[in-house]
Amino acid sequence: MKTTEHIDIRCPRTLAEALRLQADERTRGTLLAGGTDLMVQWASGVPTPVRATSVWNLPEISAIEVCADCLEIGAGVTHAFLVDCTQVHRHLPALAAAAATVGAAQIQARGTLGGNAANASPAGDTAPALLVTGGSVVLASVSGTREVPLDRFWTAYRRIDARPDEIIVAFRLPKKGKAQERFRKIGTRRAQAISKVMAASRILVEKGRIQSVAIALGSIAPTPVRLSEVEALLAGQKPTPALIDEAEKLAQASVRPIADIRSTAEYRRWASGRLVRAALENL
Amino acid sequence: MSIVKRTWTVNGTSVAIRAPAGRRLLDLLREDLGLIGSKESCGEGECGACTVIIDDEPVVSCLVPVGQLPDGTDILTIEGIEKKRAGRLLRQAYVECGAVQCGFCIPGMVVGSYALLRKNPRPSAQAIRAGLAGNLCRCTGYAKIIAAVKLAAARLAGRRK
Repeated sequence: MKTTEHIDIRCPRTLAEALRLQADERTRGTLLAGGTDLMVQWASGVPTPVRATSVWNLPEISAIEVCADCLEIGAGVTHAFLVDCTQVHRHLPALAAAAATVGAAQIQARGTLGGNAANASPAGDTAPALLVTGGSVVLASVSGTREVPLDRFWTAYRRIDARPDEIIVAFRLPKKGKAQERFRKIGTRRAQAISKVMAASRILVEKGRIQSVAIALGSIAPTPVRLSEVEALLAGQKPTPALIDEAEKLAQASVRPIADIRSTAEYRRWASGRLVRAALENL
Repeated sequence: MSIVKRTWTVNGTSVAIRAPAGRRLLDLLREDLGLIGSKESCGEGECGACTVIIDDEPVVSCLVPVGQLPDGTDILTIEGIEKKRAGRLLRQAYVECGAVQCGFCIPGMVVGSYALLRKNPRPSAQAIRAGLAGNLCRCTGYAKIIAAVKLAAARLAGRRK
């Protein structure tokens, strides 16, 4: 029978209490937010941790603050909350679209933005949309907070730049301003399917030229990635059909996807190029 | 092991529970509270057979450790929903539309339908498909289920006038 009953889950009510638990090796536990990834793993019979520290429903990390130039989104904010938030739709539409593709209603109600980032799956649905904002992650410990740029946060397959005593508390995400954002996920089925490949983009075209460009892909590398070569090709240029052709080809040449149960390397490479084209057409 | 003591509202009634914090809500509902309407099918959050409503949000109870639910949590299971008017209308509509075959997914499907109608009282077919995307039926398909939700929604709206 599937069970997680043997795991000692501590459920602090405040962030300060959770940080104190994590500060001491003897009380530290695997961080557990909405459980949509970890509860599945733990019930599947793989070795489980002895202790877990719940960060679900901590009031300090469960809100969205709208600043002048950015949105500060608490790590405990759920995908359902993102989908329903008009400020997220207005200023971070790719993130709103990405959150709407996570699992289905039941998973969106429990899965959190912080949990999706910490799980560090290359197929994490929100990661490309976070990356194109050029924003950062805020981490806290008993000794204070620090900020890590998102493009340095996912360091290797399933690895993040966080110390064992740290908790992700928020994401500082610059608003898109006049730029256009797009998000597209390709999977076997529209809901409850992990992506084969997905893309998010934030592109500003003014006076006929691409003034700034960020394109990120998921499921095609050990971590979510920005396509820096493609971005360099596009910056400052006119988005002509010839340039879009070139960007599509460069994207296909620059990614190194793997084949796995969800897709082939060949399909992922081809689709990466098509997603870059879709990000650039009709800007 | 951390044992938690909590007082929740389950189907409108105050319930005191005492359980390991890591116990799955689904197991607590079925084994400790005898509410066996919620089913375990996949046990990994994919199929929706164990869907219950916690504080107005549909969730899969196989992925919720009871320690994460504080005092005052409001839980609605299929046993509570069948006593509500929308629940009765959904049941009747599911029967009339022939939406039930083996029936194992149906408690979760009805809870999902109830949650959907609470948020969107007159959903389009597309909205019903999206709203129930996390509830899988392996017997027969979804056309009759979608028809049942539409019928229940129409009757709910009609009776409000």
